[in-house]
Amino acid sequence: MLQYFNPKQQDFDKDYGTPASVSENLITLEIDGVCITVPEGTSVMRAAALADINIPKLCASDNLEAFGSCRICAVEIEGRRGTPASCTTPAEAGMKVTTQNPRLGKLRRNIMELYISDHPLDCLTCPANGNCELQDVAGEVGLREVRYGFSGDNHLQAEKDHSNPYFSFDPSKCIVCSRCVRACGEVQGTFALTIDGRGFDSKVSPGQDQPFLDSECVSCGACVQACPTSTLMEKSVIEAGQPEHSVVTTCAYCGVGCQFKAEMKGSEVIRMVPYKGGQANHGHSCVKGRFAFGYATHEDRITKPMIRDSIDQPWQEVSWDEALSFAATKLRGIQEKYGRESIGGITSSRCTNEETYLVQKLIRAAFGNNNTDTCARVCHSPTGYGLKTTLGESAGTQTFDSVMQADAVMVIGANPTDAHPVFGSLLKKRLRQGAKLIVADPRRIDLVKSPHVQTQHHLTLRPGSNVAFINAMAHVIMSEGLEDKAFIAERCDTEAFNAWRNFISEERHSPENTESITGIPAAELRSAARIYANAKNGAIYYGLGVTEHSQGSSMVMGIANLALATGNIGREGVGVNPLRGQNNVQGSCDMGSFPHELPGYQHVADDAVRARFESAWGVTLDNEPGLRIPNMFDAALDGTYKGMYCQGEDIAQSDPNTNHVQAALRSLECLVVQDIFLNETAKYAHVFLPGSSFLEKDGTFTNAERRINRVRKVMPPLAGLQDWEVTQALSNALGYPMNYNHPSEIMDEIAQLTPTFTHVSYERLEKLGSIQWPCNDDAPDGTPTMHEESFPIGKGHFAITEYVATEERSTRKYPLLLTTGRILSQYNVGAQTRRTENQVWHDDDVLELHPQDAEDRGITNGDWVGIASRAGETVMRAKVSDRMQPGVVYTTFHHPHSGANVVTTDNSDWATNCPEYKVTAVQAVKVTEPSDWQQRYRDFNQQQLGHLNKARLNEPRSEESAIAGK
Amino acid sequence: MANHQLTSLIRMANQIAANNTHIGDENAEAEMVANHLSKFWARSMKAQISEYLNQGGDELTPIARKAIGLMASAG
Repeated sequence: MLQYFNPKQQDFDKDYGTPASVSENLITLEIDGVCITVPEGTSVMRAAALADINIPKLCASDNLEAFGSCRICAVEIEGRRGTPASCTTPAEAGMKVTTQNPRLGKLRRNIMELYISDHPLDCLTCPANGNCELQDVAGEVGLREVRYGFSGDNHLQAEKDHSNPYFSFDPSKCIVCSRCVRACGEVQGTFALTIDGRGFDSKVSPGQDQPFLDSECVSCGACVQACPTSTLMEKSVIEAGQPEHSVVTTCAYCGVGCQFKAEMKGSEVIRMVPYKGGQANHGHSCVKGRFAFGYATHEDRITKPMIRDSIDQPWQEVSWDEALSFAATKLRGIQEKYGRESIGGITSSRCTNEETYLVQKLIRAAFGNNNTDTCARVCHSPTGYGLKTTLGESAGTQTFDSVMQADAVMVIGANPTDAHPVFGSLLKKRLRQGAKLIVADPRRIDLVKSPHVQTQHHLTLRPGSNVAFINAMAHVIMSEGLEDKAFIAERCDTEAFNAWRNFISEERHSPENTESITGIPAAELRSAARIYANAKNGAIYYGLGVTEHSQGSSMVMGIANLALATGNIGREGVGVNPLRGQNNVQGSCDMGSFPHELPGYQHVADDAVRARFESAWGVTLDNEPGLRIPNMFDAALDGTYKGMYCQGEDIAQSDPNTNHVQAALRSLECLVVQDIFLNETAKYAHVFLPGSSFLEKDGTFTNAERRINRVRKVMPPLAGLQDWEVTQALSNALGYPMNYNHPSEIMDEIAQLTPTFTHVSYERLEKLGSIQWPCNDDAPDGTPTMHEESFPIGKGHFAITEYVATEERSTRKYPLLLTTGRILSQYNVGAQTRRTENQVWHDDDVLELHPQDAEDRGITNGDWVGIASRAGETVMRAKVSDRMQPGVVYTTFHHPHSGANVVTTDNSDWATNCPEYKVTAVQAVKVTEPSDWQQRYRDFNQQQLGHLNKARLNEPRSEESAIAGK
Repeated sequence: MANHQLTSLIRMANQIAANNTHIGDENAEAEMVANHLSKFWARSMKAQISEYLNQGGDELTPIARKAIGLMASAG
């Protein structure tokens, strides 16, 4: 852990000029007569800043290595000649530094004079006015005149680049400090920017002197944040002016859990600035978190509750009371008619812990059954099962920062630079420092080869062969004696290990014997296994390419086996690290969303556990698990499941086998959807309860590191209620009283009932910044690294992971294997990002296929291609790409009309029913028109939007109902 | 009308059995599968699959049959 990230020691709003030193050796020096003790390796500039002696600077920033180009930070050091730059000069014991005197003042003024002689003097109308470092430094050095005049050669007429939808580039204001170039390289790791030309001709150039949008720029915004002038500036600031206050909150996109300062004008977000104190992101972000927040105030937001008796009817806008009473009456009526277990609900991995907790509590206590599930079912449920079985806890083992200690990193079925970009940048930083990289993925993801990153082995395994692959890796480790015998003897269950060793040592698991299954050359797999096993610290990061398979849980256990066998558990730099998809997947699982587990992964059949909850909640709880999402759909089609409360999940778009899901939803007598938009699921609903975006609520999210981060309300909920308040009101309408005044009270209840959350409270979160659970008597400040001394189950458990081929395999009729995934600019079902300018990067889903497969079918780039599986058929544009291996095709599911999940099947993980999104046998053929499903979708969508418009037209035009876009 | 749930349950039970057939001891394997069903399946799912077994359970694999029998008798 880097010292300068320690919240106890740093003011995160201050720029200390250069990064902190991690040295434990302390030295003392004197700056302007003040003695200060700092870690060895600290720059003079930073040492001074720590003593609140603030040396003027332009090219320095504490998230970038010292550069020493602007010379504004020159100082005098006793006994040394000249005026060294304080940013590049390390502090030394006994050093005596002078930061201000007439000589230095004159030097700095002269430098500023040169800068300003080629800079527009339009400060009063400049977007950076009030927040411009150049202006500040001009003031600090006392610049009063520019003796050179402004008529010489200059850059004042340089052409602006407005191509990026979120920021503008105005080179006339550039001082060529290189902060943007260095941020793009050092922080983001994309290296899209460079300084083109020499001397006077020097200029910042995206790509090969291209517009930003056409370059390799990924629009993370690190350059905009780094710019000390208004050269790179958010368009929102150019339009609205500088923000006047800010609130620190947590991003609602992926599972990295970046913290941001939401910079505001009144209740309007002007820009999101990654918060340096964010313990997951340390001041960095991606295009989604930083820029794609406009959906929160998009005109499609629905801010009035609506009801209807049938999905063939128009919606009717009603009061909250009427909607909740309508929902409660319908749900209770269904239970009276079809029985207590005929209804259930789905919690959201996008909502807060407190909201998720309340939904499952409502289901268990007010519905009186355990029919609760969450969208984690379709992404990381195998992680919960697999890690609990082997390591004893359903969570990743490390912090993100841990990767900076890793010597070999294995990325399996994950695409961090697209799906977890801020972690991807950190990983690339470590790789540039020399850590080795193994990528196991059917597709050539960006990480395989990018600037200054080259994987040692890209193992292009065939979709569906994961377990054969991981078993082969373990076989190499055991047969070549690469295991950590001491760790196994001390930390692992001997009987289970012996059984596993006998199993894995069988020759049938050797890379040579599994090559025909995995497609990975044996020698390459052996080499990869040796790299991982021989590394001092070997870390595994994995994603949905591991879990979304018929053997997802087996694969997670196989990964854990590998980490146990090599002793790569229980310290920094190692571990088993699931990269969670959504912002609060970890949290929604922790909060008892699964039908068999109460909060804290406590099984419903455990009488003692249930007794505690029954006592706190004042009800009798069912001791049998409830239905999982796919079981709910099946039961709905059989007529035994009739009502559902669905909060913030779009099952109609995200779940597999869309035709099946649509039929199930149609069969419900009462579907209550709570969401910010009329999403695909809501088109089948009878009650719509308007939700609130993350900007409109208080609560917490838990990221992939088990880190509980605060979410803070920055604007009032557009519909008047935060999501937890809606759930509470529904519960009260159902006759089960809930009376929380603030989410902190819900967290107090969670802490009381969940042994891993005992010491979590809003007060402690304010004090510590964030907390990684477990947080209890054993670990009062939380647990950054799990399993350091023992496992929650005592000893690590090796699980036997037999490879069982999926039933989904290529045939003559369906010769290709389809695998689905995500891209950087869009997020999941796209409900949020499709309503932002991110559309400019990806306005439609496409089918990527290998040039050979394309040629065999007469398909060229941009052709319409019909993709058919045994489940259904859809049509997309083709993108011919050598990222794919022959026989494997790929698409995303960000757009509802593309119907990617019409094609995916109901195959699922044997242990958890997590759908097998990553393997679908398909055929692709050139076509000329959309599929039948797409035509039906278009008609249904138009009908439902018509029903929505009627509700809006009929609405009384009160001030209360005046919302954006109406 | 096809019984969607039962079709899925048969498939799921067989799949769970297929993923636990590595120990070489049929009784131990059946016990593992039975524990899994008991721990993760809803009451209605357990009842349906038990009923199906009682009616013959033709499409169940041997381990799945044995496991469901065990689960029902532990019941």
